[in-house]
Amino acid sequence: MNPLLRFCDVSFGYGGHDIIRSASFDLLAGSCTALIGPNGAGKTTMLRLAAGTLHCRSGDVILNDIPLHNLALRKVARTVALVPQQLDVPFQFTVREVVEQGRTPYLRFLRGPMSEDRIAVDRALDLADVTGLQQRIFNELSGGERQRVKIALGLAQEPKLLLLDEPTQNLDIGRQVELIDLLHFLRGEGITIFASIHDLQLVEGNFSSVLLLTPEMPLMDGTPEEILKPSILEKAFNCPPRRHPLLLERMQPHAKRPG
Amino acid sequence: MTVVLLSLATGAVRVSPGAILASLFGRHSLTATQQIILLQIRLPRVLASGVVGAALAISGLMFQGLFRNPMADPYVIGSSGGAVLGACIGIFFFSQLSLFGFSATALLAFIGSVITMALVYSLARSNGRTNVITLLLAGFAVSTMLGYSSYFFEAFDSGSGSNHLILLSWLHGVIGIPHWTQLSVSGALLLFAAGVAMPLMRRLNTLALGDEYAHQLGLKVEYTRIGIILTGSLLTAVAVSLGGLISFAGLIVPHVARLLLGPDHVRLLPVTALSGAIFLVVADTLARSMFAPSEIPVGILMAFLGGPFFLYLLRKTKRSYVL
Repeated sequence: MNPLLRFCDVSFGYGGHDIIRSASFDLLAGSCTALIGPNGAGKTTMLRLAAGTLHCRSGDVILNDIPLHNLALRKVARTVALVPQQLDVPFQFTVREVVEQGRTPYLRFLRGPMSEDRIAVDRALDLADVTGLQQRIFNELSGGERQRVKIALGLAQEPKLLLLDEPTQNLDIGRQVELIDLLHFLRGEGITIFASIHDLQLVEGNFSSVLLLTPEMPLMDGTPEEILKPSILEKAFNCPPRRHPLLLERMQPHAKRPG
Repeated sequence: MTVVLLSLATGAVRVSPGAILASLFGRHSLTATQQIILLQIRLPRVLASGVVGAALAISGLMFQGLFRNPMADPYVIGSSGGAVLGACIGIFFFSQLSLFGFSATALLAFIGSVITMALVYSLARSNGRTNVITLLLAGFAVSTMLGYSSYFFEAFDSGSGSNHLILLSWLHGVIGIPHWTQLSVSGALLLFAAGVAMPLMRRLNTLALGDEYAHQLGLKVEYTRIGIILTGSLLTAVAVSLGGLISFAGLIVPHVARLLLGPDHVRLLPVTALSGAIFLVVADTLARSMFAPSEIPVGILMAFLGGPFFLYLLRKTKRSYVL
């Protein structure tokens, strides 16, 4: 089975300094991948490369066997949707009006939305469970509601691949769990998930594979069990293991084993 | 239509609306004087204020959407500065000249505003992209700089000071009595620009999500932006050439429409255009009849009329204005 999205030896940087160096990995259709790494390692950049809004300096990003740079963004946006970390909307747009913008890649030059666009918007609102919010003003929503509306906006593109930039950031633990459940549900609907995640505790058990992006080491690709080892995390995040509960907790089984 | 009729009837010389209607249907003819007043003085002026109002309102709507900023108005990218310079040259040097029915002042104001906007736009553009903040700042700097050029003209003016009065009223916005040629050219430009604006409205909604998001959705952000700037600039130039610098209309009419209808630009366009036209026709009628036979600049009246109305709406509306 061919991967949905494939990074082949991709390098990219701003102003001569490469942040992403010869990154290669595959995203299989139906997988749920977490992108982890320290601040400033280039996680957002990686997602933008995957969405085609940035073009790699060398190498290829390949979507369904076609290099992204050969595709118009309009075409890419029908398969890949990127949910950004921040979305600021001026004026008092309603949730529905915001989500309708996700249909942009499907609209013809001089035409407005048609009935199939309305159906897709209804479905996106329904999938993200925000149908009840559709007449509310986007700017007046809480952080958790806003996050779900942003996902609905992405879903209105009817994507095969949903990219999410820090979807659990600024959410309380209850809303984090709701969001993870939503991601599971979307995966069940056949949507491939690729999300950058800061909260490592959310990765294990919820994602089928993990990519670790760090400034010093080459990109690491594996299952959560392979990547989320204290020895790796300590080096990647430059964090003394005894100073953080997550690493400390993981170190204990190793400490007991010799006895 | 009613507004146009009432506005036609009002003025230093009163003609009853009934009489106008009767003559329109051929029942009863007006006196020759009345005919001249109506057809050659009042009708062009009423139509001109309608055109100016619609043009300013649409262009204000477009610039507010483009800059994602409710403080933007049609003059935000510097058109007023160039228009002042052009109008000064027209008023002080070529006041008697007219070309195909356009007065030199109107023509030079039009050209001045188009050139300034092109200049500001090219200043803000680098590497094939337009920086919106640079556009705003460059617009502000250029319009302030050129706007004060009028003082130099006045300082070197040897005339009696009548030029000063003309310039002063022009700066506050006065709708003249345009020649029919100018009126029809302006009307055609307004219709053309409104036609171009229509497909841009949906794209303004997408741009509200931010340039980067719009780009990611496959919108050609740079082309869309150029389209908006060109159309908005054309509309502003049309308005400036007919009515001088009328403040406020382009700022508040889109807001009033937005407070009533919500921010969807597609729905806003026709309503904004129509209310802009009505608003200015009413304001201009009041401006020329309140203290008849003398008149006050419509821009000043606009601030006095529109200000309180806008504040009232701002307080009353449930949709609070938070950014």
